[in-house]
Amino acid sequence: MNRQRSTKQRALALAHGLILGCACLAVLIPLAYLVINSVKLPREFLTVPPTILPSEVTFEHYRDLFEDSKTVRHFRNSLTVTLWTTGVTIISGTLAAYGLARMRLSARILAGVTFIFLFIRFYPRVTTVIPYFLVMRELDLLDTVWAIIIGQLGITIPFVTWLMLVVFQDLPREIEEAALVDGASVLQRFYRVVLPIVMPSVSAAAILTAFLSWNEFLIASSVARRKASVLSMAVAGFVSDKGIQWGPMAAMSVVMIVPMIVFALFAQKYLIRGITFGAVKG
Amino acid sequence: MSLSAASGSTKSQSDWHRRHDLPWLLLFVVPAFIIVVAVQFYPLVYSAFLSLQDWVLTESQTPKGFVGLENFVKELGDSTFQRSVRNSVLITGGALALQMTLGICLAYLTMGASWRMRAVRTLLILPMVIAPVAAGTLWRILLNSRAGLVNHLLSLLGIKGPEWLAHPDWAIVSVILLDTWQWTPFVLLVVGAAIASIPDDLLEAAAIDGASRWKTFLYVELPLLMPLLLLTLVFRMLESLLSLDSIYSLTFGGPGYSTYTLTYYIYTLGLRSFNFGAAAASSWIFMVFASLSIGLVFWYQRRDW
Repeated sequence: MNRQRSTKQRALALAHGLILGCACLAVLIPLAYLVINSVKLPREFLTVPPTILPSEVTFEHYRDLFEDSKTVRHFRNSLTVTLWTTGVTIISGTLAAYGLARMRLSARILAGVTFIFLFIRFYPRVTTVIPYFLVMRELDLLDTVWAIIIGQLGITIPFVTWLMLVVFQDLPREIEEAALVDGASVLQRFYRVVLPIVMPSVSAAAILTAFLSWNEFLIASSVARRKASVLSMAVAGFVSDKGIQWGPMAAMSVVMIVPMIVFALFAQKYLIRGITFGAVKG
Repeated sequence: MSLSAASGSTKSQSDWHRRHDLPWLLLFVVPAFIIVVAVQFYPLVYSAFLSLQDWVLTESQTPKGFVGLENFVKELGDSTFQRSVRNSVLITGGALALQMTLGICLAYLTMGASWRMRAVRTLLILPMVIAPVAAGTLWRILLNSRAGLVNHLLSLLGIKGPEWLAHPDWAIVSVILLDTWQWTPFVLLVVGAAIASIPDDLLEAAAIDGASRWKTFLYVELPLLMPLLLLTLVFRMLESLLSLDSIYSLTFGGPGYSTYTLTYYIYTLGLRSFNFGAAAASSWIFMVFASLSIGLVFWYQRRDW
């Protein structure tokens, strides 16, 4: 069969390969160039033509970053925010979803709840950022990681609840009925019977939450200034400063991007399910 | 949506449910409920209140009083507001057109379960997982007009690249490029999943009837994909309109006001100039449009296709 392929088919296959090759390059070249920039000598920035292969690989930008107490603080804050947001979101979101799924709500009410989730996912968040800033100012929480964490919870909890609600609704109730006969309480049923089954979905939700929280910028930048600032703000900060520090900016971006790429490679399925959730069912 | 509440539950079971289960279930929902009300609904009401107030933080520590719809009237007539709306429409419109087209094409080109296609798909979705701020800085490096890689590659082709980030029109194009680079994978993923779920026998039947590949796409697949494509379009439209991070790190709204989007404008008005009243009013103008779109998505999702 293969030998007899016509010239036309071969030309098509070639075009197919070429287009996909270009698409892959369009993704890879920018990423590779960023990494290259992060190990370039300062004098090789802004050269014409741009230095594509640096004469020497230097890690000075990374060293400078991590010797700077500011960067260490950004990194620590980002980790703190991500861990807290993910932990609290997973616990309260999963519980809430289970509660909603088993409460025997009418279809109408469930539709209303779903609409609220959809609304929170997509309304212009910039609307609530200003009042949220004022509330945090009132509570004297401005420029603390707590202000960022609580603000992010407002986004991630409804999202995870929604995600898990769909999972619990698809779970046949018969699975729990055996335990019900044994007189197990809701808590026991949830913990012993339901949770082990839905664990993959819970991990998916956790990965997605960590991803959203780590990359989040709007809330963090509106309630944090100096003490509580996180990596996303630090990356953006290189631009607003006068005179861009190309090396540190590239290095910082790499530091920010790499964990998520590793996530994407190892937990691709979960991450994709989360990101496309709502557009694709389940 | 499966609602099997009534199926198989006897009277005693539902009695058990009411007395033993329901209190626990309610308790499960409480923490999430409190956070959502405190962090989403209270600020939402607060911002509606702010939109009717005259309050600039740099002039006064407390609201200066009720001004009715004055903020709204002022904002609608404000030239920067109007410019931001225009920019938002241009950027989101341009980016959507590009990424929908590219995404659909790539979804077809990367079909299949071979390891090669899976590897290509894994690679192609990477831009989507990068933090938008980082993607912005990355493209800021690439688009540097003198020493950037993009203009260098263009010069190899004999094209003199434009002043990407310094020229008002090209800055808009730059933002479109960035959004397209980052979010085409989303369209690819969603459409790819949809194509995979089209039953093979439909396509085979079309092939047996002698339909060309293009005609099969146009008359068999496209109608099936249409609802999902519209949904994806609205999804991406909202997310693109709401994004702040990438513009913040790519152009910082500049040069001048030439890449101020509606979100960016409201953000700077509220949290850089601290004009709370005006920012809240413009955000509510934005909200009306967003809510209509969300309503559309909701209506679409609940229809059985």
